[in-house]
Amino acid sequence: MKNSANVITVRDLYKIYRVGETKVRALNGVDFTIGRGEFCSIVGASGSGKSTLLNMLAGLEKPTRGQIVIAGEHMERKNENELVRFRQAHIGFIFQSFNLMDTMNAVENVALPLTFQGMERRRRVKKAEEMLDMVGLTKYKKHKPTQMSGGQQQRVGVARALVVEPEIIFADEPTGNLDSRTSREVMELMQRVVREKRQTLIMVTHDNELAGFADRIFHIKDGKITRIEEQTGREKK
Amino acid sequence: MRFGDLLLMSAGSLWKRKVRTVLTVLGVVIGTASIVVMVSLGLGLNRSTMQDIENNGGLTSVEVREADSYMMDSGTSDKDRKRLDDELVETIRQHPHVALASPVLTVSVLAKCGAYENYLELQGMSGEALEAMDFPLAGGEVPVSEEELTFLYGNQVLAGFMNSRTGSGYWMDGTIPDIDLEKDSVFLIYDMDSYYNASDNDGGQQQGGSVKPPKKYLAQYAGLMEGGLDTYKSYSWNVYCNIVPLEAHLKRIFRGKVIPGQPATASGKPYKQLYYNEIYVEVDDMENVAEVQKWLTDLGYQTYSNTEWVDSMKKQYGYIQAVLGGIGAVSLIVAAIGITNTMMMSIYERTKEIGVMKVIGCDMGDIRTLFLMEAGFIGLIGGLIGIAFSFLISLVINRVVAGMGMEMTLSWIPLWLAVSSVFFAVFVGMAAGFFPALRAMRLSPLAAIRRG
Repeated sequence: MKNSANVITVRDLYKIYRVGETKVRALNGVDFTIGRGEFCSIVGASGSGKSTLLNMLAGLEKPTRGQIVIAGEHMERKNENELVRFRQAHIGFIFQSFNLMDTMNAVENVALPLTFQGMERRRRVKKAEEMLDMVGLTKYKKHKPTQMSGGQQQRVGVARALVVEPEIIFADEPTGNLDSRTSREVMELMQRVVREKRQTLIMVTHDNELAGFADRIFHIKDGKITRIEEQTGREKK
Repeated sequence: MRFGDLLLMSAGSLWKRKVRTVLTVLGVVIGTASIVVMVSLGLGLNRSTMQDIENNGGLTSVEVREADSYMMDSGTSDKDRKRLDDELVETIRQHPHVALASPVLTVSVLAKCGAYENYLELQGMSGEALEAMDFPLAGGEVPVSEEELTFLYGNQVLAGFMNSRTGSGYWMDGTIPDIDLEKDSVFLIYDMDSYYNASDNDGGQQQGGSVKPPKKYLAQYAGLMEGGLDTYKSYSWNVYCNIVPLEAHLKRIFRGKVIPGQPATASGKPYKQLYYNEIYVEVDDMENVAEVQKWLTDLGYQTYSNTEWVDSMKKQYGYIQAVLGGIGAVSLIVAAIGITNTMMMSIYERTKEIGVMKVIGCDMGDIRTLFLMEAGFIGLIGGLIGIAFSFLISLVINRVVAGMGMEMTLSWIPLWLAVSSVFFAVFVGMAAGFFPALRAMRLSPLAAIRRG
């Protein structure tokens, strides 16, 4: 595997929380690389450190020690404002509880990251509408989040994460609030879209079945990667 | 983010929380209105005073007197004494900043009309000056004629007439003298000394009527000033006439004698020409009053204008305004605290939203701007409504004052006050929203994606 193909490189990553007198090692020395276009899931029990890992990859938390290189840039060296700028350009984020803006309709929600980038209104609306078409919400463009089902809301969430055409998409329990049938639909959607656009998707879940959609599964326990499972029988690029 | 998008977004989140926005705005409305109304009271007072001054001779007029005119008649023989004569009037007229210079000759006379008597001050001035003084007339005309001696009466002149038999008069018991200055015959006695000598003799019975009572002259009516018997203006008590016929008239009456109030030569003879009590000077612009005054003072004359007094008045009203404005400012401070509180509440409520925005790429600066704008909007809307409200209150105040019979605008809101108060409200809003905005900017995005 060529180094340039690696979108994410994590070296010797530690995150230590201080809780009173005791130190909690949320991450205890993690190393891995993820290549372009890969779909990885991070699986672990609650408290295993999987969410901490994701937060640090997305630049929402600072590591105590170690390196995170994403798209050639060191995340641990950036200040908060630079991290926001970086996310704006390179990262999409899908939340467990969707986190859509209640006052905005679907198109406006999807267009929001483009608004933050400063894109002109006509262009961003056009892009957002294309995205909604792609996730199958053509008929719901003018709907507010409160007028949509959970599955539909998460599709909007997916569209919002993809609209800036990021190299990397992080998903934190994206189906945690959905029933199993809807979960499958959303998973299939995400899988299809990132394949088509050759984007990297990193998903945190505690559901082994859903983790199975990924090319690789990182099992994490007590802040360490215990096992990396390569999914066979799938074409990999 | 684009400016328009920021504007829309912050307006949108205000719209979302209508009730709270309205309440917060209300605080700013009251704060702005109280400041504006308070300041407008100070300004109105100030302006009314200025207008009064304008009525009382204005800000551009200068009175010129002899240097020691307030220590009259220390000695008439003093040759160095600088008198006010035609030559001086001409010199003053030549000054580049002088628009008008007129001699003023004041003569005290006794007026009689039937049983009524009144002591009058005749003010002889040039026709040009009389016109320039722009008296408001109730009827008649300004005595510009240089042929005939006619009189323009001040509006309170009538009130000064007393019934010499009953001793009643307007100032004593409120009875308005039954005189029509235009139609009734009013006689003037110029030689008052002779008159008193004669009347003293009358009172003291005989002593051989050596003194003949002086002649009475019929006063010709020219006009009457506008205003009631109680409306005081600087000219209300005076009787104006043209100086040319007045001089001629006086010379005729006192032929060969010294006219009362005029200096005499060492031998007690009158001078050829008349000397004036005062020279009335109108300066072309308020700015130049001080300069002209200085020039005249250096020439050795005493001058008086409203300028110094106006300056001290202005200072005084400045203090009043500051105090009133300060009282108003208290309520705006309360409103500012309200804004801060609202913004804080809003940020607590929207912690998650702010976090999400940061995660999906909203600049820290943009978040700060969003909240600052929101606070600024509250200030702007509050300021605009507040100023509209202030105009309303101002109107009511002035109506009430007018209803009480006072001729003044107590509350006056000039354009600059209206505009600057709106700006001030926006500024206060943004200042109040500054720390909440910083807080929003620094919120951890992690709060958003923690489950809950």
